[in-house]
Amino acid sequence: MKRFSILILTLCLCLTGCGKQTTEATAQIFAMDTVMEVAAYGEHAEQAVKYTEKRIEELENRLSRTKAHSLVSGLNRDGSIRHLTYDYWNLIARAKEYRDATNGAFDITIAPVMDAWGFTGDSFRVPEQSELDTLLKKVNSDAIQMLGSPSDSVTLGEGQAIDLGGIAKGYTSDCVEAVFYDHEIENGKISLGGNVFVLGTKPDGSDWRVGIKDPRNESGLAAILSLRDAYAITSGGYERYFEENGKTYHHIIDPATGYPADSGLLSVTVVADANGPDQEWVLPGNGTMCDAFSTALFVMGEEQALDFWRNGGYDFDLVLVTEDGRVVITAGLADRFEEVKDSGYTYETVS
Amino acid sequence: MKRFPELKPNFWDVIVVLAVIALAALSAMTVWRGGTETGTLTAVVTADGQEIDRFAPADLLDAPRTYSYNGVTLTVAAEDGNGLRVSSSDCPTQDCVRTGTISRSGQSIVCLPARIVIQLIGGAADSSGVDIVIG
Repeated sequence: MKRFSILILTLCLCLTGCGKQTTEATAQIFAMDTVMEVAAYGEHAEQAVKYTEKRIEELENRLSRTKAHSLVSGLNRDGSIRHLTYDYWNLIARAKEYRDATNGAFDITIAPVMDAWGFTGDSFRVPEQSELDTLLKKVNSDAIQMLGSPSDSVTLGEGQAIDLGGIAKGYTSDCVEAVFYDHEIENGKISLGGNVFVLGTKPDGSDWRVGIKDPRNESGLAAILSLRDAYAITSGGYERYFEENGKTYHHIIDPATGYPADSGLLSVTVVADANGPDQEWVLPGNGTMCDAFSTALFVMGEEQALDFWRNGGYDFDLVLVTEDGRVVITAGLADRFEEVKDSGYTYETVS
Repeated sequence: MKRFPELKPNFWDVIVVLAVIALAALSAMTVWRGGTETGTLTAVVTADGQEIDRFAPADLLDAPRTYSYNGVTLTVAAEDGNGLRVSSSDCPTQDCVRTGTISRSGQSIVCLPARIVIQLIGGAADSSGVDIVIG
């Protein structure tokens, strides 16, 4: 019988030698007015992707401004909301924090101004200055009152309405990162309409290669980043716009003027590290931060954006694409960055 | 001089050896299956996440392809024999048409109203090949 011991040994090796089996699961999800792509690699990849889809649906139902029964619609309709769960309460609190940090360049109370331009329902128009002036008086999220436990309530200022479109996708990516950890995913990615979170490396051990779209050429790239365990979120005026009388109006409204931001930038990409697995609650993390800052820094323009990067007290890096044909990269990305040949841009690293 | 016992493989030894080889081959196949994705550049069309078509971009030179989903009809045409683009769509936003031409692996055209995504996969890995495009 000795001879069969070899066979038994081989069988044991086959069954145990490879340890956990890594499987791949992917999905394409239409939500939040965009298409999302999720991929997960790990023993529980299927469950992770299924749960991700469920979580995104739940987030959209809570954060959408166009769904009548969402938390945001309720708050805008009634002016206040009580007994919010800790995570959503924190999301609004964080939005207020980013408003203060960026001196108002990011503000969720911009909603009525977005409506006036028609960016909420795709019925675009250029509002009268007098109309904008009236609406701008209501734009200031400092007027939102937040009360913590026991009731966790939010009360808007008189006549205010909020739109979480500037952070909803970023927060969704924070939530997906947590889903990945819960399901012991080793490598994964979620791209949400151009924003991305990558967990670990690619399954082959190399970094994820993330291309930043060229704002001047829809099918070209302006830069390539090599990333692992990171968020990269881009805002650009070219994403959504309309033309009237030969003039182009894009969707990133400067809360100071009520007009599309005209700061000399074509796009802003904010890059930050993953939040990591030690989170008790799924609170807004670096995904939310990158989303808010990509909008705010687009509004600010190059000089102010770089100043904020240096002195703002937050840990992130930047890729700025300017109207005058430059790609400006902050020092933290210097060794994770690649130029694109024949893109026509000149590349500068700043510190 | 001490002699080793004569080794004479019998039928069962052969069976064991064959079984070990078979198991080794099976294990190797399990590990290698679904490995690196190479091959020719291929366009994959999905509607609501479900694949509805798959073709080589060059096939479009013969005839453009038309897809209807979610009340929207769009046409995909070849561009210089290399890439492809959405040449027309009756969707309200026209973002898919404005996206222009895609020609490299990893690029995609999305028509949100139609819930259709046209994505290029495979193809020779070149230095600019990216996994994800943002912006």
